[in-house]
Amino acid sequence: MEKRDIIQSFKDSLFTGLIALALFGPIVGLRTVSKGEGLFITPQWGVVFLLVGLCILGRFLINLNSARKTEITFFSKFTSKFSAITEDKAKHFAITGILFAVVFPFLPFTDRYFMDVAIMILTYIMLGWGLNIVVGLAGLLDLGYVAFYAVGAYSYALIATTFGWSFWICLPLAGIFAAFFGILLGFPVLRLRGDYLAIVTLGFGEIIRIILINWYEVTNGPDGITGIPRPSFFGLPFKRSPDEGETSFHLFFNFEYSTMHRIIFLYYLILVLALITNYFTLKIRKLPVGRAWEALREDEIACKSLGVNPTNTKLTAFAIGAMFGGFAGSFFATRQAFISPESFTFIESAIIVAIVVLGGMGSQTGVVLASIFLIGITEMFRDLEQFRMIAFGGAMVLIMVFKPKGILANRKPTILMHGDKK
Amino acid sequence: MSNLLSVENLTMKFGGLTAIDDLSFDAKNNQITSIIGPNGAGKTTVFNCLTGFYKPTNGQMFLHKEDSKISLRKYTDFKIAYVAKVARTFQNIRLFPAMSVLENLLVAQHNELMVASGYSLFGLLNLKTYRDKEQLAVDKAKYWLDIIGLTHRADDNAGDLPYGDQRKLEIVRAMCIKPRLLCLDEPAAGLNPKESAELNKLLKFIKTEKQTGILLIEHDMSVVMGISDHVVVLNYGKKIFEGTAEQTKNSKEVIEAYLGVDE
Repeated sequence: MEKRDIIQSFKDSLFTGLIALALFGPIVGLRTVSKGEGLFITPQWGVVFLLVGLCILGRFLINLNSARKTEITFFSKFTSKFSAITEDKAKHFAITGILFAVVFPFLPFTDRYFMDVAIMILTYIMLGWGLNIVVGLAGLLDLGYVAFYAVGAYSYALIATTFGWSFWICLPLAGIFAAFFGILLGFPVLRLRGDYLAIVTLGFGEIIRIILINWYEVTNGPDGITGIPRPSFFGLPFKRSPDEGETSFHLFFNFEYSTMHRIIFLYYLILVLALITNYFTLKIRKLPVGRAWEALREDEIACKSLGVNPTNTKLTAFAIGAMFGGFAGSFFATRQAFISPESFTFIESAIIVAIVVLGGMGSQTGVVLASIFLIGITEMFRDLEQFRMIAFGGAMVLIMVFKPKGILANRKPTILMHGDKK
Repeated sequence: MSNLLSVENLTMKFGGLTAIDDLSFDAKNNQITSIIGPNGAGKTTVFNCLTGFYKPTNGQMFLHKEDSKISLRKYTDFKIAYVAKVARTFQNIRLFPAMSVLENLLVAQHNELMVASGYSLFGLLNLKTYRDKEQLAVDKAKYWLDIIGLTHRADDNAGDLPYGDQRKLEIVRAMCIKPRLLCLDEPAAGLNPKESAELNKLLKFIKTEKQTGILLIEHDMSVVMGISDHVVVLNYGKKIFEGTAEQTKNSKEVIEAYLGVDE
């Protein structure tokens, strides 16, 4: 890397800082407070400088990284199309994203509301990644994915309330149950494709929900299950006043008690679960079974003519996709402490499918962007109450108009013979 | 030369329509056996019976293996390729268009790689045994790509290749399962004369260098006459002639079937 590049990228980041200052200055810097009669302006320059500094630093790091491979001019960065993100940039994007996600709970503007939204977005990201295996890779359009989410949540709730086992034992069990249901759904639909498969899976989702409502003895029907144990931090519960003989989280670490501790813990929990899903998917995509999934999506008859067993291949896709749905369901149950069939309606399945399709079938980063976009927008317009679904629909239309193949539609081959030619 | 495939009294009926009527023929090792005939003669139906896509109404198909023989009737679906090692290509090309050329060839080696990856377990743990096997599979793919001259496009999507290259890729993909019998359904359809000549070369190479018998359906007579060792002529599901390319060319029955009879 040449000196000229460094100077260039430094200038560029200073310019970014200038823009950030112009934006954050008035928005964050000048805070209006109503005191007695009239409004008063309280400056918050400290926060502004922190944000501007972060922008400059982030921009500089991005520049340093990308300048290594290609010469970039300031404008080419802006004009470069989003879908043209190369694997190289996507990697930096992913790392930046993960770093941001890790520090997110400690950023100055993060409050309880932001955390709740972030946890929700992460849950959808995880569900999107799970469904991506079934829809994006194996090409099996599953409109009843919420069924596995429900199975995971109910298995977790029932096991945890009946046996009182800890989260870390119940979680894999719930995943296994969900995977089992995935295979159960998989068998009858093996011969179906496309629209027909979509209809049957949709029906399956409804069947599970109706069973949950009517099987009163086990699921407690529409009343749902209450008192699901909250997760503990390696045995340390998040309670203000722990039971006899117990030490709670804040006492052990000598913190002042705050409900945020539990929220932050839940946040990291779902972050880790989601990242595991992602890592697993990225890995398995490069294995023979992952390639077979994609081949099955492309042409089932050709697969058979090459000796690929379509039954096993489809069932593993259903089972693994369902397992991650089940994990997400357990998380949902432990976070809410209360579940009822109402949380598992068709609209949930539709949202998850929308996330996968809008993100770009098979694209892991696309799922993240689509989740943030769709869930974020629905949350932003929460004040509009039921009209916020219009915003949701509008967001979908926008993506479909400008990115008909999804936000990130680039597929990278799972293995390269000639290495990266860049 | 030893027999590779014997088809005995094969009959396939779809309701009242008899697509193949009591057909018997043999195909030999290291030979190219062509099946020709006018449109609707039942050629592709023969292939679909051989490769397990249809279950024949009657008759037997045997694949000879050293001193034993296996009945292809027993195998259906993917097992024809997996167990019996009969590979095929399709009249309308069936590649995996959104996957790279290399990936196409790796999917063809799926079953070996699946075992090598310990049904994904070793693969997830990224063990060396699996990585070595995968490298072998890539080497094998490269070997075939070198032969058809597509190595430089290994990382491009198969769907982006020109038509002629897609045909050749489909053939070498079928070769990656190490077939004993390779069934090609109109491999020269849509090729220009230069590409047809290259195809002839490729098929001759496979015939002489690999332990593979080739069964060929083709309308392009320059291909059929140029490379066939043995020709079977079908018309309305019945075999009307069998012999060498030269004999076929001069056969009265064949000319009648194609051009009609003088009134």
